[in-house]
Amino acid sequence: MIRIEDVGKRFGEGENLFEALKSITLEVEEGECVILSGISGSGKSTLLSLIAALDRPSSGKIVVEGELVSKLPDLHASAYRAKTIGVIFQHFNLIESLSVEENVIVPLINSGLDMPAIRKMAEQSMQRASILHKASQDVASLSGGEKQRCAIARALVNDPKVILCDEPTANLDRENSLRFIDTIQKLNQAGKTIVIATHDPLFEALPFESRVIHMADGMIGKHGE
Amino acid sequence: MLSRSPFLHFLTLLLFKQKSKHLGIMSISVVMIALVSAVLFISSSLQQTLQDTLDEQADFTVTRIEAGRPVSTPLAWADRIIEIEGVSQVAPRIHGRYFYAPREESFLVVGIDFFDEQGSKALESLVKGIDLKQFFAEESMIVGEGVKAFLQKHYYKDTFSFKTPRGQFKKVKIYEVLPGSLNLLANDMIIMPIGLAREIFGLKEDEVTDITFNVPNDAEWDNVIGKLHLVDYEIRVVEKREVEKAYENLYNYKGGIFLILYIIALLTLMLILYQRYAMVYSHERKEIGILRAVGWSIRDILKLKFYETMILVMSSFVIGTVAAYGYVFVLGAPILIEIFLGGANLENQVQMIPEVSFGTLGSLFLLYAVPFFAAVLIPSWRVAVIPPKEAMR
Repeated sequence: MIRIEDVGKRFGEGENLFEALKSITLEVEEGECVILSGISGSGKSTLLSLIAALDRPSSGKIVVEGELVSKLPDLHASAYRAKTIGVIFQHFNLIESLSVEENVIVPLINSGLDMPAIRKMAEQSMQRASILHKASQDVASLSGGEKQRCAIARALVNDPKVILCDEPTANLDRENSLRFIDTIQKLNQAGKTIVIATHDPLFEALPFESRVIHMADGMIGKHGE
Repeated sequence: MLSRSPFLHFLTLLLFKQKSKHLGIMSISVVMIALVSAVLFISSSLQQTLQDTLDEQADFTVTRIEAGRPVSTPLAWADRIIEIEGVSQVAPRIHGRYFYAPREESFLVVGIDFFDEQGSKALESLVKGIDLKQFFAEESMIVGEGVKAFLQKHYYKDTFSFKTPRGQFKKVKIYEVLPGSLNLLANDMIIMPIGLAREIFGLKEDEVTDITFNVPNDAEWDNVIGKLHLVDYEIRVVEKREVEKAYENLYNYKGGIFLILYIIALLTLMLILYQRYAMVYSHERKEIGILRAVGWSIRDILKLKFYETMILVMSSFVIGTVAAYGYVFVLGAPILIEIFLGGANLENQVQMIPEVSFGTLGSLFLLYAVPFFAAVLIPSWRVAVIPPKEAMR
């Protein structure tokens, strides 16, 4: 379960002060799929990065699976990102010089598991993301859709309870976008809590149960209402 | 083991897959380390050779000067010097440079007294198995490798004709060639019986070029110098320690070497800093951000960067020093040795005796490794502590 209480995020100061998020309060139930929709600059990606502990809120608190992630020290925040969540980024954020399998194992390098165990988990994850056939191929040579599936495999490799997707279909064609939605549906059916930040209309009417939350000007509600 | 340790697996993976990123900086490092190490090896080797040679030299050498100009020394001084308390092994010598005008080259001619025990022993130690009796009987000479090569080049195969001050030619047979290991000091040397040397330099029977002697008790050196000036006011005393200092200035190049080390270390630092900063603010910065985003802690990032740097530093240092060792002691340091022996008279094929100063190598390693580590770890740390989202941007 994700609980967001009165969260604000400000960048800059003085005349350059910009409020990306204004007093956001939101709850996401376990196993729920939530779509954060809104135009660019509405604050949805910022909110997602705060849930992922990739950044810290300026005010308020965020609790994920009972853990206060908004104030975690580095070691705990790293452990939280490594175990509890899996993030799929808009630009995939893969290490281009490595192969698909090598990218997928990255989150498990410091997990304490040995290499055979890590390889086995990576294989399962690549299987789920339908990218196993490209395991040894360098990421740089993959298509956008394949990179997306590699990113999904990496996000799933540690079997996280929460999956966060930031504009997951922004760089995909329609066919790959539908394929991604299909993958998300399967993950949701497997009990994963999913939060997707997107402005893609495809997510307005998903073929499975989901909740769409509109964001604008750093606030929740159609026009920030 | 490597395949079972995820960290080592990932470390080697990154090093191998991103080899082009590391090869540039590693190549520059290897060249710099090799260059500085080669200079150090040459310097150490030359100094050791010189030191070994100087250890065999007499503590003092005296000559006569007239109006500041060295002239022949009276043999009678030897008898007066030996009477000074604390003095031993007094040996009159005839040696000097013989100028070969047609080619504007000169040789160092050394006359050895057959009856002088010290001189004969020194010669026997230089040329193993020499028949001294025959050598002294034949009006012949023992020459350094450089002299032999020079004479052969100018068609003097087995003999050479010296021109005496009286305008006569003195034909002398080449009896033996000195071993190449002595080339540093004996490359242009000609050793001959003292009588022959006296004739070539036009000296009288009661004249020598200088007189050498030892004073075993160091504490007496200053007293002996004082007494020497009572022998004759035209006496010039040269102490071995002065010669040592002169050679030190010539070959040690202490200031120069450390200046080179410093400049190279500084250049390395600047270069690495530039390269690392440039990378950290683009590709490497993003990579650190990605690692942080998927659950790596700051400590994990720094651990990865530390080991990555350690492998690069160690391997480039080892490759550099081994290459320098081979270049200096196997190949004989072509080109670079000319810088050290640039003032040499004849063309000199010096044999480098392996001599490594591990203290200096250690200092070189620190000068190289510390800035390298700092240049990698500090920017990496600076990126690792910012929010991953910002680093990936």
